[in-house]
Amino acid sequence: MTMENDTQSPTLQAGSEFLSAYSERLFSSGSTCIRLEKNVGRIARAWGMDVDISILPHHLHITVHDAGRTDAVTTVTTIQPRAVSFATITCLSSLSWDIADGHVDFGEALSRFNALPDTVGEIGPWQELLLVSVANASFCRLFGGDMIAMVIVFLATMAGYALKQTMLERGCDIRVTFIACSFISAVLASADSLFSLGTTPEIAVGTSVLYLVPGIPFLNSLSDMIDGHYICAFGRLMHALVLTACLSVGLLAGMIAMNINMF
Amino acid sequence: MILRLLFNALFAGLAAIGFASISRPPRRAYLFCALIAAAGHTLRYLMMNWGGGGLHIVAATTIASFAVGLMAVFIAPHTKVPAETYLFPSLLPMIPGIYAYKCFGALMMCLSNGGEQDFNHCFYLFASNGLTCFFILVGMVVGATVPIFMYKRFSFQATRRQSSTDNEVI
Repeated sequence: MTMENDTQSPTLQAGSEFLSAYSERLFSSGSTCIRLEKNVGRIARAWGMDVDISILPHHLHITVHDAGRTDAVTTVTTIQPRAVSFATITCLSSLSWDIADGHVDFGEALSRFNALPDTVGEIGPWQELLLVSVANASFCRLFGGDMIAMVIVFLATMAGYALKQTMLERGCDIRVTFIACSFISAVLASADSLFSLGTTPEIAVGTSVLYLVPGIPFLNSLSDMIDGHYICAFGRLMHALVLTACLSVGLLAGMIAMNINMF
Repeated sequence: MILRLLFNALFAGLAAIGFASISRPPRRAYLFCALIAAAGHTLRYLMMNWGGGGLHIVAATTIASFAVGLMAVFIAPHTKVPAETYLFPSLLPMIPGIYAYKCFGALMMCLSNGGEQDFNHCFYLFASNGLTCFFILVGMVVGATVPIFMYKRFSFQATRRQSSTDNEVI
């Protein structure tokens, strides 16, 4: 992103473009509406501007006014699909405070914003795969699964999560990805039941797909609802429900395919 | 009982670290995700099992989630990480996965069973597991989110270089 007027405070146009790009990045990284409004408002005040934001499920409208509200610039941005990254949210929130407290001027803020990589994550995909698999196996133990169920859940999660990483990297639709991953994990986890390996096969199947639960959209949805952003809250809730439905379809298809009887 | 508590806390911590990695938090947040998750899960276990028969799972989960939210809000300024970072991985060990599984399983059996008596039994299982699962989820999310709004000063100043309590709240 390049903008003119890289001095202490930007022009209305440059300020609006920066705030628009900043908001889009913050929102698409998994921020709540209240954090977005607070961060953007803080930056605008530091630059002697007023800001009004409309947050829609796929777009952000930002109007920046000068101090006397005699002039205004409106920028509309499309929200890009990005992976949730709290490291990015931390960097952007910290940047907003540094601008508000006068530690950085507009030029430096722009440099720091542009220097953010596309995905700010502090661990690699292999480490992530391993950690998620261990986490789901731990889940299995928490729900009362035996050691064999834990091992099976570990392997089922590893296969499913690796598939999720590959499909999303290749640009597959997230809903198709969720159905495919939960199907694969459920089929693999049903080995416990099919070969009578352990004593808790139902826990193995039930736990094997929990790594797909869309927890952040659910949490953000409620946060937006408490804050009065009902359209955004509804959009996020619908997204989470659609993903949960896809997860369930894959799980049920896997159970039917493997003829798993539950009760 | 103490050994069981410690094991549960350990596995809750491990689960939190793993699921934290999905939301890509800063590295310094992982340890606190594990500690908050372990404390939240242990608190819920104690509330549900105290004296042989404690609180219902929905009430216990809501209170434990509120405690998780409070811990997240007050730890966030010390680690310079937004409080929301800690919520999702710390709540996951309390997720009603088995209720959800049984709910969907019962739904599947509703569709495949022909007789009225079998259908009624499966529908009862679907509804009872589904309602319990739903209210646990609502309790979790509400309980954990409310502290962020109760203590906005802490929640939204967490990433500031030097936290100041006499400056603007926003």
